[in-house]
Amino acid sequence: MQKVVMSGNQAVARGFWEAGGVVAASYPGSPTVEILESVKAYKEIYSHWAMNEKIALEIAMGSSMAGGRAMASMKHVGLNIAADPFMTFTQTKTNGGFVLVVGDDPGLSSSQNEQDTRVYARFANVALLEPSTPQEAKDFVKLGLSLSEENGTPVIIRLTSNLCHSRGVVALSEREEKDIPGFVKDQPRYNMLPPHANRQQIFMHERVLKLQGYAEESPLNVLVPREGSDTLLVTSSLPYCYLMELKPEASVLKLGMTFPLPVQKIRQLSHNYRQTIVIEELVPLVEQELKAAGIAVKGKDYFPFTGELTTDVIRAGLIQAEVECSAPQATVEPSSSPRRTPMLCAGCPHRPIFDVLREADVTVIGDIGCYSLGILEPFEVLNTVISMGASLGMIQGVAKAHRYADKVRPLVATIGDGTFFHSGLSGFADLARTEENITIIVLDNRTTAMTGGQSTPTTRDYLKDESLYGMSIAEILVAFGIRDVQEIDQFHLSKTRRVISEAMERDGLSVIIAKRPCALNFKVVNPHFFVDPEVCIGCRRCIQVNCPPISMHTYPGIDDSKSFIDPKMCVGCSVCSQVCPVKAIKSSALLKKGGGSK
Amino acid sequence: MSVTSIMIAGVGGQGLVLATRIVASVALAEGCDVKTGDVVGLAQRGGMVWGSVRFGEVVHSPLIPAGSGDFMLAMEALEGLRWAHLLKPGATVLLNNYSIFPNRVLLEKDVYPEDVPGLLKARGLETVSIDAETMAEEMGNRKLANTILLGALSASLPFPVKTWQGVISENVPPKTVELNLKAFDAGRDAATSDNH
Ligand SMILES: Cc1ncc(C[n+]2csc(CCOP(=O)(O)OP(=O)(O)O)c2C)c(N)n1
Repeated sequence: MQKVVMSGNQAVARGFWEAGGVVAASYPGSPTVEILESVKAYKEIYSHWAMNEKIALEIAMGSSMAGGRAMASMKHVGLNIAADPFMTFTQTKTNGGFVLVVGDDPGLSSSQNEQDTRVYARFANVALLEPSTPQEAKDFVKLGLSLSEENGTPVIIRLTSNLCHSRGVVALSEREEKDIPGFVKDQPRYNMLPPHANRQQIFMHERVLKLQGYAEESPLNVLVPREGSDTLLVTSSLPYCYLMELKPEASVLKLGMTFPLPVQKIRQLSHNYRQTIVIEELVPLVEQELKAAGIAVKGKDYFPFTGELTTDVIRAGLIQAEVECSAPQATVEPSSSPRRTPMLCAGCPHRPIFDVLREADVTVIGDIGCYSLGILEPFEVLNTVISMGASLGMIQGVAKAHRYADKVRPLVATIGDGTFFHSGLSGFADLARTEENITIIVLDNRTTAMTGGQSTPTTRDYLKDESLYGMSIAEILVAFGIRDVQEIDQFHLSKTRRVISEAMERDGLSVIIAKRPCALNFKVVNPHFFVDPEVCIGCRRCIQVNCPPISMHTYPGIDDSKSFIDPKMCVGCSVCSQVCPVKAIKSSALLKKGGGSK
Repeated sequence: MSVTSIMIAGVGGQGLVLATRIVASVALAEGCDVKTGDVVGLAQRGGMVWGSVRFGEVVHSPLIPAGSGDFMLAMEALEGLRWAHLLKPGATVLLNNYSIFPNRVLLEKDVYPEDVPGLLKARGLETVSIDAETMAEEMGNRKLANTILLGALSASLPFPVKTWQGVISENVPPKTVELNLKAFDAGRDAATSDNH
């Protein structure tokens, strides 16, 4: 049997392939982006980046109804978008195996909230599996598809960001093809209206009881006993791995399935111990379920309800609970190092927009994408980051509240092309008839940059790749009946400044579409710029456009520090040279042409 | 065999994920159990990124508990300093002599630490400084810096050069295999000739 090193995400893709999966759909979001990217390598599977998570889930749902094994994958907040079809789909008796793979993000390393997907399992009456290693990620996807078919249920595979990105050794197997019967008409099964939908409430109730019976006996939930210990630790996912390393003076019950729980098994076991402690990331779901069943357990008394439970965090909790660990503990103090926050890349087309908005001193309603970084210093331009597409509805609400309070003033929102197609279309349709003074800047960088550069419907216009969708945001908005729509090249700074300020003066809705492509994704590189230190007055205006290559520098023979551009990092977008009040910043292309003319 | 832990620290865009994967594949090829951890996501936009590689007979967890790491490969100096507390006293740091200023340093609100090698040595860590960027540029391609650093790391690990060469060849663009193998040798030489 071949063994390879794989990430949790890659292992999910492999498991789906081995299990004979035929349709995989997703919408990109950290930490699960790599799942669909890995699926693409398996030619037998149809893989699809959908416009949003709801559509991804619906594509997978259709395949499952036709009998083809299906997988939808998304980040945790994506399930909020997909929850509508999911909550009704779960009422139908699942046909072809259906797994919903969701990546949670304890510690919010790349997300806007920390919601716990396990809550959805109970809400939707479905089984939820939690792998703790890449090998288990692969195995649980396969098992999940079988459980799905045997019990007529969708199955959630819950991953966390550390597991998605961690790698481990995975043993590979071959693919097993499954028979696909095709869609069979069955009105009571798929038409979720009364009386069919009423009957399905009972079906789901019985399904959960059956799954609970399975959980009681399943090898997914295993005890790792410790001779002579008086403590039982109940855990799942990566915290189990950390516990194995810590070697606590306790028996450990590892749950591979955290909904439904093996309540009877835990009750029985707990009788043999002085104390039972639940170690789970995020909400005290297992803890509360056990308490509700009358089992005396502790959990969040010792372990935080937010952030990752790392080896060090778990050790601290165990010490509090007076459970000894045999692994040695170190006492090394971290050094005080300057923080490193993310920032816009060199040549990022969002930068000039933020520079203009900062000067305009206007209330800007933000959205989600690389441009969310506009909340950070030195721009601090965006005033809100909530959820994808939210800016379009929010800006109407802000305008109406202002009007009521007699505080009317221009409002601006920024939204990317990825977010436009994910959840901005209906927001724009809704805005089309507004009479409030609202300016929306669409940052059409032709890609979903934040999640690694997946294409959007406007990518084709840039790449001239006929296999991609070719849509024009301007044409769509005009078709909605929006008349005040302009496209701009935001690297022409003075013109951009004028267009934005004029739009802010006009009543009604104005839309400005900024068309420069993502410099990182499309590898846009022009001759670098440089600072002439003899001309530079050290005013730091260029520092304020905040580009990674620009810093203050001490030049030999010059007393005051002057700005400096690292030629290795600069990609020649020219924005800094346009803000320089004394024209001290020039393109190296001029030098090559001979003479550095001014 | 006890578990050996290697921390890899850098800045978004430096190619850290590939470096982590290469070390892990070498360990697997030599019959070890191996686990790695990576932070990716928002951090890619010039934020801090880190990876961990742990190998041995049985490895339970990808995370390196504080004070237990054996080696660190620091692709950027400040990031080496940031994660130094994960290492045990006397551990070895392979330090790329290269600085990428974080945002607050560019804005003159923070000061980039001077003499990072000195600060690491003061913490009781063996520190080997490598000018990987300059070496890579001299070899004609800045992207070779990571392979040079892997070569330097390889000098401290119990794996045969042949295995490293095989894994590197599989993981870099076919046209650049020869150059990468040269870079690997150069890094290995730099780490062994240079006694700090
Ligand atoms: C519901 C939901 N799905 C996915 C994500 C992950 N995500 C973060 S930003 C982003 C899209 C950004 O694309 P775009 O609006 O084009 O902005 P860009 O990053 O290109 O500037 C996505 C999909 C999310 N935050 N929320």
